[in-house]
Amino acid sequence: MVGVKGWFRIRGVSLQSLAFSLQRLTGIILLIYLVAHLSYLTSIRLGEEVYTAFISLTVRPETLPLDSLLFLVIFYHAFNGLRVVLNEFGILYEYRRALLYILAALAVICWLWSTYVMYIYVMG
Amino acid sequence: MEEVIFNIRRFNGINSYWQRFKVPVKRGMTLLEGLYYIKENLDGSLAFRASCRMGICGSCAVRVNGKPMLACETQILNLKAKKLDIEPLDNMRVLKDLIVDFDDFFKKHEAVKPYLIRDDVFYSKPVELLQTPKELKEYYNFTLCIKCGSCYSMCPAASTRGDYLGPATITAAYRFCADSRDKGKNERLEAVSGTNGVWRCHFAAECSEVCPKKIEPAKAVQKMRKSAAGYMIKKIFR
Repeated sequence: MVGVKGWFRIRGVSLQSLAFSLQRLTGIILLIYLVAHLSYLTSIRLGEEVYTAFISLTVRPETLPLDSLLFLVIFYHAFNGLRVVLNEFGILYEYRRALLYILAALAVICWLWSTYVMYIYVMG
Repeated sequence: MEEVIFNIRRFNGINSYWQRFKVPVKRGMTLLEGLYYIKENLDGSLAFRASCRMGICGSCAVRVNGKPMLACETQILNLKAKKLDIEPLDNMRVLKDLIVDFDDFFKKHEAVKPYLIRDDVFYSKPVELLQTPKELKEYYNFTLCIKCGSCYSMCPAASTRGDYLGPATITAAYRFCADSRDKGKNERLEAVSGTNGVWRCHFAAECSEVCPKKIEPAKAVQKMRKSAAGYMIKKIFR
């Protein structure tokens, strides 16, 4: 057994394994984000001013790249997860590589669109 | 004659270290021949497993530049590299140099009963068990597994759970479950539907990518998973 490092092999592996590694990595990032996000929302219990102060701290042009990256992580995890679910049900198994490319492309398209929407919202 | 560096990860029972060997290579020479060249001319203490030299026995699987392959079937010049990092298979205990312990791997195979199970066979009166070509096609590809351990070596699920049955074992289980002559499907489904069975697979599908016989173990695992789901649901209402 090689332990957790077996999830993140890079050398000698195929695109399928890299997709798996990224799925794990994005999953860990989303878990950390979820905890931070829920802690952030809980701040409303300390009063509206505290919550508004937090909002003004993060919803601004400087943090836009981070939000954009977060959406990339979300879309990758969602679309790649969909691919894994389909393949695990035996659907499109033979086309698993094509499916990987198509869903990764969809993730990128959704990411660019969401970044554009956020940019319009933040920049006005 | 071209010279290729064999950078071999060695293990003497205590320490693990890398050792370089310069191997003269000619066209058509296999990795296994390279290893034999080292053993016969450079270092007789180098340990590796090999037997049939024709991709049948599955003994000589090693990792070359991270990817598992059969040393006997891999031509050195086809790898198009001046330096080859040769390591033993992953996810198994290394005994010496390139030799890993397969005991656990085969014990897992035994657990899924990889043989025909029937209640009406009497060896005193053998009968022919007929099968149509369509029925044979259902599982034939999966009979080609040579149990080299390449799939298990690259499986990320096996990296973190030592008791995971692994792709080769589940493929063997599927091979017999899909055989129209077999009557032991439920016994095997019981074996693979536990926490160390099909549910551990997270579909990295690297097993199918590295399989030297191209038998698609990931496909067998997913098919077995579907059967296991049905079996477990039925079990609730039984």
